[in-house]
Amino acid sequence: MGNFFILSSSIVISLFFVISKAESESESELLADLFALQSHSKSGVIHLDDRSVARFLTSPKTPRPYSLLVFFDAVQLRDKPDLRLRELSQEFAVIASSFIANHNSTNPKLFFCDIEFRESQTSFSLFDVVSLPSIYLVGRSAKSLKDDSERMEQADFTRFTESVVDFIESRTKLTVGPLHRPPLISRTQMGIIFGILLIWSPLAAKKVLSGETWVHNPRVWLSGAIFIYFFSVSGTMHTVIRRMPMFLMDREDPNRLIFFYRGTGVQLGLEGFAAGFLYTIVGLLLAFVTHVLVNVKDPKAQRVAMLVSVLVSFWAVRQVIFLDNWKTGYAIHGFWPSSWN
Amino acid sequence: MAAPETSTAAVPSLYTNNALRNAFGGVLSFFILLLIGVMAFSIRLFSVIKYESVIHEFDPYFNYRVTQFLAKNGIYEFWNWFDDRTWYPLGRVIGGTVYPGLTLTAGTIWWLLNSLNIPLSVETVCVFTAPIFSALASWATFLLTKEVKGTGAGLTAAALLAMVPSYISRSVAGSYDNEAVAIFALIFTFYLYIKTLNTGSLFYATLNSIAYFYMVCSWGGYTFIINLIPMHVLLCIVTGRFSSRLYIAYAPLVVLGTLLAALVPVVGFNAVMTSEHFASFLVFIILHVVAFVYYIKGILSPKMFKVAVTLVVSVGLAVCCAVIAVLIALVASSPTKGWSGRSLSLLDPTYASKYIPIIASVSEHQPPTWPSYFMDINVLAFLVPAGIVACFSPLSDSSSFVVLYIATSVYFSGVMVRLMLVFAPAACITSGIALSQSFDVFTRSIKFQLPGISSNTEVDAAETSSATAEAQNDAVKTEKSEETSKNRPSKKSKKKEKEEKPSTKAKAEKRLIALPLDSSVISLLLLILLGAFYVVHCVWAAAEAYSAPSIVLTSHSHDGLHVFDDFREAYAWLRHNTDVDDKVASWWDYGYQTTAMANRTVIVDNNTWNNTHIATVGTAMSSPEKAAWEIFHSLDVKYVLVVFGGLVGYPSDDINKFLWMVRIGGGVFPHIKEPDYLRDGQYRIDSQATPTMLNCLMYKLSYYRFVETDGKGFDRVRQTEIGKKYFKLTHFEEVFTTHHWMVRIYKLKPPKNRIRGKTKKSKSKTSSASSRAKRSGMGKKNPWH
Repeated sequence: MGNFFILSSSIVISLFFVISKAESESESELLADLFALQSHSKSGVIHLDDRSVARFLTSPKTPRPYSLLVFFDAVQLRDKPDLRLRELSQEFAVIASSFIANHNSTNPKLFFCDIEFRESQTSFSLFDVVSLPSIYLVGRSAKSLKDDSERMEQADFTRFTESVVDFIESRTKLTVGPLHRPPLISRTQMGIIFGILLIWSPLAAKKVLSGETWVHNPRVWLSGAIFIYFFSVSGTMHTVIRRMPMFLMDREDPNRLIFFYRGTGVQLGLEGFAAGFLYTIVGLLLAFVTHVLVNVKDPKAQRVAMLVSVLVSFWAVRQVIFLDNWKTGYAIHGFWPSSWN
Repeated sequence: MAAPETSTAAVPSLYTNNALRNAFGGVLSFFILLLIGVMAFSIRLFSVIKYESVIHEFDPYFNYRVTQFLAKNGIYEFWNWFDDRTWYPLGRVIGGTVYPGLTLTAGTIWWLLNSLNIPLSVETVCVFTAPIFSALASWATFLLTKEVKGTGAGLTAAALLAMVPSYISRSVAGSYDNEAVAIFALIFTFYLYIKTLNTGSLFYATLNSIAYFYMVCSWGGYTFIINLIPMHVLLCIVTGRFSSRLYIAYAPLVVLGTLLAALVPVVGFNAVMTSEHFASFLVFIILHVVAFVYYIKGILSPKMFKVAVTLVVSVGLAVCCAVIAVLIALVASSPTKGWSGRSLSLLDPTYASKYIPIIASVSEHQPPTWPSYFMDINVLAFLVPAGIVACFSPLSDSSSFVVLYIATSVYFSGVMVRLMLVFAPAACITSGIALSQSFDVFTRSIKFQLPGISSNTEVDAAETSSATAEAQNDAVKTEKSEETSKNRPSKKSKKKEKEEKPSTKAKAEKRLIALPLDSSVISLLLLILLGAFYVVHCVWAAAEAYSAPSIVLTSHSHDGLHVFDDFREAYAWLRHNTDVDDKVASWWDYGYQTTAMANRTVIVDNNTWNNTHIATVGTAMSSPEKAAWEIFHSLDVKYVLVVFGGLVGYPSDDINKFLWMVRIGGGVFPHIKEPDYLRDGQYRIDSQATPTMLNCLMYKLSYYRFVETDGKGFDRVRQTEIGKKYFKLTHFEEVFTTHHWMVRIYKLKPPKNRIRGKTKKSKSKTSSASSRAKRSGMGKKNPWH
């Protein structure tokens, strides 16, 4: 009996060793594969499909020696501007490459992956991903992909880069470090541009000195200044910075478009241009009357033109006052003597 | 709108040869200017009339306190002032970190008045500094516009600036902030630059550097000047308008101005080290290269010059390239590329929203929508394009400066609503030019077409009108005919100009340059109506929109006027009932006010230079009572002040700012997580609120005993009943709540008996992350009580 016990226990122990050795081998294999995949990818983001998800995530026993940060992508939805998938995946790649560059020597075993919807629908259902964009962190000990992996909050996608960095740093206790963005133009391009500029600049300087270019034409400057004015008073920078749409669809009636948004602090693109146009047209008409029309010889033409510009200006000013009161809700009133009321 | 009308009447009088009329015009403009000054001053007094003579808001309280210190201790003490009343226990070096212009100005005024035996208090001087400087600013606008387009335009522009709402918003009586004097300094510097450019006098160039120095002393916005003027110089060079006057206007400004700017401690070596200033140095070099080219051109024959120009241009370019390379290397070596975040967000407007949430979050830094322009410059928005066109007919050095000023400032104002303040003077100047010119055209048309005037006078009129037009166009150069020729770079164009002038004159003599009588009358009336609307709007804006001091609040209801003076009540309580060296903790918004009005030491204030310190306070406010007590105790805090608007419906209270405390706290201490305070992403304080929210210090201090007011605990700001109504405080005790419950002050309870506290501590599960503060709190051997 005692013998049997010793025997069986030794078998168990040796079996255990064998198994653990085999496991550790496959673990290191998996790791090596992941590193190889990572180095093959340009940005360091590993592209996963159903097979590799099964290989790296579902089949190995937990705890795995690595954790994965998975970005869920869908090629057919990339054109939808409100999802911003293309932009987000680029940002994700930037974070991945920066992370890899910053941890070149330390090897933290966190891998950045992405999964495409059409080719890996099973994986999407494994994670129970129902909306995009989505980012999951599969930790070392996560057994069920659906329940144990951690999902980044949907609200965080507005400030994507910072949120992902925060997400990584808070969940994995790793620091991402400074982000290395690829420069807008590469070094060689920069050199070429610089060279062209260098060659071109003496010619340009000579031309400018002799005074025969468009820069000496005041009309160019005039239209430039007016355009900048129009551009700014339209609140175009607001549209650009806040990424406001040109107009909105009415939710109740899809055929109707909303061009004017009520409430301060928000404006739509076309609304801004309309207001900017009204602002600018009055001044331009006034300038036309005082600088061009004065020199016209025919009094009849003068009269007609002035009548038109007066009417248009009057309409524009009234329109702006009306729109402003409608939008902001302010009621401007004078401070008349009380006996007048 | 009386001023512009009369001003146009003054225009022709100045340019006729009749000496009497000339003198009359001068006297008239002087009185108009005086009235404009009075108007600029008095329109800003609504805040004093409607409320009282009191310093406004937050930052002005700091400036007020600094001025008090200056008045009491003198200038040397001021430079070396280390303030231990704020940022406890760190303190702050005040002398080296403030723009001293405003303080020194008000301090000097106070000193002057006192030595004249006019015993005004420092506070009174501070309250009225901004209105006084608005009057000065409108006079500076007159000077600047006069240099560009003549007296009439100058007076109109000054009248417009005196009441432009954008500027009123920053300069009502009591709004004692840097911008109040800086706008005057800005306009005056521009005036002196234009004056130097028109006269070529070194005297004005020196004055210009001194004005620039004053601007640097006053406001960080001086970088606008040191970039705009080089841009104009470059523009002049590129469009072939280089002249010796341009050199005199610019070179001394760079040399003297930079030296003087470096004297201001807060700027110091930034004046030569940061990218904001590099443009001026670059243009300085280019200017010299160009000046050299023109010099060579003068001494060589045209043939020799062609040879030389290739040489000079290539050498000059090589030098330029070398300098640019050095600059780029310098810039690239610094992490932010040498630009401050705010300047970068002007160049690349999407920068801040992407990378700097703290800049993006401030409401002043948002891009404005179109109604902002109507609110802040009103009908000037319609007139500016006409002014721009007027500046181009004809284009002179000075008018091109105005065009550049308006184009850059309107773009910047489009990026950041705060910079509307820089745009407003430019809008006033261009609108003044436009208005004055249209008045000129219309009144001329009416005057000489009125029935009863013979055709004989018509020819006369045509002559005078063309003369006035010319006089206006070349306003500055009327007396110096050789100046006009200097203005043009090449002799060819000068000749052309000379040929053209008589021909246009001849034409003008043949025909009356005028518009039909009836339509002129209508247009004139409509313009006056437009001006009247502007006045009504400005008065309304000054009275209703921009005069609230935000330290005293009022509300109108059916049973009359209510005044909420809770803030001063609370600060007075602190001043009279606490020890001089007690530390008071509150969110940073109230730091300046607490030090200035209660004279107590605060932990953080509105000069948000140390994020960790602010995050510590934010963490304390978002922690449960015990953890918060430990944090505050470790900072020697004795009183905690919270602002609560739930009873009276004051929306900018601490509960509404609370998410920022959580965010900023969580940014440094990660155990504070924003989602813990949100139910499904929504911020709420009713029964659906998360337990973390209901147990945090801010909730408890705000709503302690709140249910006793109406029995239900209905919060009027959030429009709900609060979630947790009955609870007791264990580590804090309420010591004072103001009349309308807007400010509540709590005292930290003394530490409990050590042994009992220890057994409790070992039992209770404490959160791990406030360990830093906790450790220091626990490690204290001698509790203060």
